[in-house]
Amino acid sequence: MKNFILLVVLAISFTSCAVVKEYEKVYVNDEEMQLSAKNTERFETNFQIYREGASGANGGRSGGGCGCN
Amino acid sequence: MNKYLIISLLFSFVGFSQQDSTGYKKRVLDAAEVDLLFSYYNQDGKNAAVTGGEGTEELSDATSSIVVQLPLNEDDVLTIDAGISAYTSASSSNINPFDGDINRTASPFSASSGASRQDVLAHFNPTYQHSSDDRKSTYNVNAYIANEYDYFSLGLGAGYSRFFNEKNTEFSISGKVYLDTWNPQYPTELRDGFFDSRITGNGNYTNQFSAFEKENRNSYSLSLGLMQILSEKVQGSIFMDVVLQNGLLSTPFQRVYFGDTSDFYIQEFQLADDVERLPDSRLKIPIGARLNYFMNDLVVLRTYYRFYSDDWGLSSHTASLEIPIKISDSFTLYPNYRFYNQTAADYFYEKEGALSSYEFYTSDFDLSKYKSHQYGLGFRYRDIFTRTKLLRFGLKTVDLRFANYNRSTGLNAFIVSLGATFVVD
Repeated sequence: MKNFILLVVLAISFTSCAVVKEYEKVYVNDEEMQLSAKNTERFETNFQIYREGASGANGGRSGGGCGCN
Repeated sequence: MNKYLIISLLFSFVGFSQQDSTGYKKRVLDAAEVDLLFSYYNQDGKNAAVTGGEGTEELSDATSSIVVQLPLNEDDVLTIDAGISAYTSASSSNINPFDGDINRTASPFSASSGASRQDVLAHFNPTYQHSSDDRKSTYNVNAYIANEYDYFSLGLGAGYSRFFNEKNTEFSISGKVYLDTWNPQYPTELRDGFFDSRITGNGNYTNQFSAFEKENRNSYSLSLGLMQILSEKVQGSIFMDVVLQNGLLSTPFQRVYFGDTSDFYIQEFQLADDVERLPDSRLKIPIGARLNYFMNDLVVLRTYYRFYSDDWGLSSHTASLEIPIKISDSFTLYPNYRFYNQTAADYFYEKEGALSSYEFYTSDFDLSKYKSHQYGLGFRYRDIFTRTKLLRFGLKTVDLRFANYNRSTGLNAFIVSLGATFVVD
């Protein structure tokens, strides 16, 4: 529950920022600013799912699909 | 039956969307793209779960995948992700440490050359994505099929995302179900009819093993995400998964040795008292956040943090930092570092730490308390004009990544990944 409240507070703080116009997005549209992982990073995420007790919240699998933790 | 239903549904969706396209719109994806991916992974350690927490963890894995993105019309993209992973494992070879070379002394610290030494995993993962006319909403459905000798997985998922606030904010929600099935492979000494005249110990070898009744594992996950542009040079996202798993969550070939039973050996190999026993349900809640900062034309900071907890008593923190450095228009360097720590699951015991009267136990060090450090370096070559041609394919990017992973339990791993993206002319 504590985590969920923290998430809601973070979400509200996030969305209360000033709007950046399309013509001002040259930096955030830069390829290196993408919020998703690159395709080649999937292999690192995959071995971490096998070797670590935690998983998820990173765009990879969070449980199921393999005989791993 | 389920497999055919999923594939039929997917193609029905595709057919429907193709008929629906009218008028001019900017395409979501201009041309088909093909990603060729390869990785080689190697690890070694001394805490193999197959041999009850003591034994070689040596493992090598080579994986190759192909990801094809096909624009079906202005709005729709079909992505096919397929791959094969082949591994060789000294650890899993000790499911049966007594087969293979007859001159080898059976030991948890050496590999058997028997059949369980290697396996192949194949996966097929199609995704169909539709974008709304105003490009503010995206819908997707996906399927996942994977198969290896002792495990079959069938997954189905769907997701929705929506931009708000002049595309400064994006909310996403997705769900996924995996219906997995084990083909349990038990340690050889626990199988019916096992006999070996070389057994040493006090009295006759007995164990408290019984085969698992359930062989299925179902996983249900719900993911929520929020992306926000915070300023002209900063953007971030927060996301949370809620994952419920039930069924056979133990790995059937992972041995456990109790502290209150007699020890029996064949040569240097101790015979199992049981396999790991874990609860048949698990609730996982990971919460993560990313924050990226465009420092200047040369350097970008990419940060990530995740807190994870589950009802097995395991919690963890993950933090990582990657600093893309643009050496030129075509070359970028990616030094990166990742820190991870976790507490032990309630059911983890080192070798002979559990008692035979306990209900749940495992000696899998992946569920023990530890911390790990991962250091990596990546290179990217990028040519937005795709001047290098191979038949009808223009080379867009080449990625090469190396990472070294060190765990406080003594496990060390190394991975190299290579990827090339081609655009179809």
